[in-house]
Amino acid sequence: MIKLNDIVVKFGDFTALHDINVHVKEGEFFTFLGPSGCGKTTTLRTITGFIEPVSGSVFVKGRDITHVPIEDRNIGIVFQSYALFPTMTVYDNIAFGLKVKKVKKAEIDKRVREIARKVDLSDEQLQKAVSQLSGGQQQRVAIARALVTNPAIICMDEPLSNLDAKLRVQLRNELKKMQKDFGITTIYVTHDQEEALTLSDRIAVFNKGFIEQIGTPNEVYNFSKTEFVCNFIGDINRLGDGVLRELVKAGANVDLKKHNYIRLERLHVNQTPAEGEVVLKGTVESREYYGLYIKYYITLDGQTIKVIEKNDGVNIYEPGQAVDVLINPRDIMAYDAKEEA
Amino acid sequence: MNGDKRRFTPELVLRILLLILFAYFFLGFMLVPCLNTLTSIFNEKTDGVRDPLKVIRFFMAGSMPRFVWNSLKLAICLVITVNVVGISLVLLTEYFDIKGAKILRMGYMTTMIYSGVALVTGYMFLYAGDGMITTLLKNAFPNFNPNWFSGFNAVLFTMTFACTSNHMLFLRNAIRGIDYNTVEAARNMGANPFKVLWKVVLPTLIPTLFSLTVMTFITGLCAMSAPTLLGYDSINPEIVRLAGSTTADESFPQARAALLSIILALFTIVLLTVLSAYERKGHYLSVSKTKAKLQKQKINNPVANVIAHIYAYILFVIYMTPVVMIIVFSFQNYTAIKARRLDLHDWTLINFFGTADYTYLNDRGREKTVVGAISGVFSNEKTLGGIKLSFILSAVAAALACIIVIVACNYIFKKKGKKMSAVVEYALLFPWLLPTILICYSYRTFFNSDAVWYVGNQNLYFGQNVKLLIILAYTVVKLPFSLRMIKASFYAIDEELEDAARNLGSSGLRTFLQVKLPIILPSVLAVFALNFNALFTEYDMSATFQSPNGITYAMVIQGMLADASRGANMNALGRRCASTVFIMIVSGLILYLVYGVGSRDLGERLDAKKRWRDRFDRLTGKRKKALKA
Repeated sequence: MIKLNDIVVKFGDFTALHDINVHVKEGEFFTFLGPSGCGKTTTLRTITGFIEPVSGSVFVKGRDITHVPIEDRNIGIVFQSYALFPTMTVYDNIAFGLKVKKVKKAEIDKRVREIARKVDLSDEQLQKAVSQLSGGQQQRVAIARALVTNPAIICMDEPLSNLDAKLRVQLRNELKKMQKDFGITTIYVTHDQEEALTLSDRIAVFNKGFIEQIGTPNEVYNFSKTEFVCNFIGDINRLGDGVLRELVKAGANVDLKKHNYIRLERLHVNQTPAEGEVVLKGTVESREYYGLYIKYYITLDGQTIKVIEKNDGVNIYEPGQAVDVLINPRDIMAYDAKEEA
Repeated sequence: MNGDKRRFTPELVLRILLLILFAYFFLGFMLVPCLNTLTSIFNEKTDGVRDPLKVIRFFMAGSMPRFVWNSLKLAICLVITVNVVGISLVLLTEYFDIKGAKILRMGYMTTMIYSGVALVTGYMFLYAGDGMITTLLKNAFPNFNPNWFSGFNAVLFTMTFACTSNHMLFLRNAIRGIDYNTVEAARNMGANPFKVLWKVVLPTLIPTLFSLTVMTFITGLCAMSAPTLLGYDSINPEIVRLAGSTTADESFPQARAALLSIILALFTIVLLTVLSAYERKGHYLSVSKTKAKLQKQKINNPVANVIAHIYAYILFVIYMTPVVMIIVFSFQNYTAIKARRLDLHDWTLINFFGTADYTYLNDRGREKTVVGAISGVFSNEKTLGGIKLSFILSAVAAALACIIVIVACNYIFKKKGKKMSAVVEYALLFPWLLPTILICYSYRTFFNSDAVWYVGNQNLYFGQNVKLLIILAYTVVKLPFSLRMIKASFYAIDEELEDAARNLGSSGLRTFLQVKLPIILPSVLAVFALNFNALFTEYDMSATFQSPNGITYAMVIQGMLADASRGANMNALGRRCASTVFIMIVSGLILYLVYGVGSRDLGERLDAKKRWRDRFDRLTGKRKKALKA
């Protein structure tokens, strides 16, 4: 569906994108994830045509659109700020693209109302000013405006970042549902890893203008290809020499020269060891109570590691308490030291 | 971007054309005329040899420094009096709990609806030798000098109260922006209200006060209408006098006028440089994330409280008396006006509409009639002519300034950070550095010749051409203000809006017209209205041009001073009052439109529309019910 081949983008002397290669499949929800300044928005803007790459090409459905003007690309965008025209009503905002394309008035009216119904905007809301709508409603207007011209692809640039936490979660679900209903190929830009993991079919993790990994949420989370990815996505413990030596002593196959990481939920406290699990002695240093789970800070062989335990209400450990920490060496992700991010 | 390369070729041509046009106007109508003024000082000859220092020698030896000193004296005194009064006004209406603050504020803000000639003639009506209040004072105190209201005293008095508009706008905003939590914190730590005022509130106002001080100083230096009408020898009236003089009357008047205007320009440039350097430092920004609204401070000491109230109301009376008197007397007959005595039984609209004959008994006891000697503002040919001329010149210039600035801003924002956009911006701000009179004087002397090739060897000062020259001057003078205001509104355009419009297929022009322009339109209309408002009653510039074909409204009003003494124009004084009332109505309306209606966004407008519709439905519904019954 969308193919980026060796895209290079430069701003003056600064190279913003180095040889970016992405292949997005039809109907896929594809996310560009990364910290700010990593090149994810630049990539998006290259697809939509706001930025022209120095080299490389953009294909949509097999057609090279690298040099096609923005308005002829048939790609819808939902902007970070929504970029709704403040001097127009909701109706006029949605109708704008159709008016530009000189669609007949009756047809415009039909399509605007149709799309409005699909994104759950009432006729009354259509006559309102954009400023009179809530953040969530505004987002729906932005989506309707992007979809009304029947684009082949829709691009969303951090569309949830302006909203408060609760609304963000709620709209995230709506977004996913809408994408399923419309079946439209979606490219989604975010720096929020939780958003990326919950929404995406596949994720491309960006860093400093490079793509570190492309994969399903499970792949990037559990099988992070690079040290940067494993650090950026989710919380993680880097295991110190003390712990590693203990593991080696217990017969585990661990490379001390590498950087070794383990996810918080892969460690267990005071449980019966399963096959292959190594038991280490530690002391609870402090704990954070989250309700759904409890996060323990445990001193273990000269370092503090974090462990998450489901809050089953049975075992809660107090600071100062001696505990057994169970590690399965298979859960360790190891990276070459030179890769350090 | 590739899209640009493909489609924007005609736009590129347009852009280059506009840049050339812009350069033509900047060089031809700002730089060259003003440089001509500057060089004219050094071109005088002694015995046929160029003597660059001749004018300056003459200047130093003669009475010329007196004008500079007088202007400086006025400026320095004004800085003190205007700040004292201006700060008082703001504190009394915004900071202290004074009873009737809303009404007081309305009174203090009256200077915003009439200024310049209209205001000065209003003050003269009250305070001149035969003025109402002077007469009252003379009757009460026989030793009172009836001519107190002339020269320096009169100018200082009038301008002290006339120049507080900026305080009421900017200082008021500044004090309302104070975080009340800081006041509460100081009180909580034991400071009394006056200590809080001195230690917490005033320091945060210092940047604003500094700007206001510089602005007041420049206003004092460049004062025109008050010194001219009240007879005070300051720089500007002297420049105008010299500009109208010839070498037959005195030694090189033109070069001296040029020298004076250059001196004025130097002062202005230095002051504005200091101001902008100071503003760039950006002091005392509020650090609060959540500001609490300022609450009025009660003055607990009963004596202080009474004194504050008396002070507030004395100021109110000073501000309101001219306004009330002018309004009241504009509906009075010439006899009542001449005697400065209200005739409660005889109200008339003759000062506004219609004409009447003037009948009197001559020396031989015969009745004589002067036909049409009494006429209203809208019936008097001369007055109506002035109104029409001012209306057209101001409207055209105000619109031109807006259009030039919009086009320039669009360019500046497109080419943000590029050298060319900075050049365009500074070129537009250039007139800000120069006193208005320097620009007008330069126009008058430079274009009063048919040797200027780039205007087709036309003498722009000659005949009807002067109207074009006035429009040009008005436009140029209004560019910096328009730029500052409209540029600020361009910042409100989210860059993503432009991207969104392009993504939806909109061309550059369409995006500008349908997306960007509607966003900045309220600001543009406001700037247009404010420009128009200022130019409509403008006096300084048209007085500098002194052309019989460019007699603006303010000049007509000034002329009514002279008319008043002649029998042929009996009700000139009444017409003057009526003129001022007309100006107040026009300005008031414009300010209401700008700040009241114009500041609403689409949502508020839709709400208002809905309210009106509901009201209408309710009314018609009721009527239907009534009909049924």
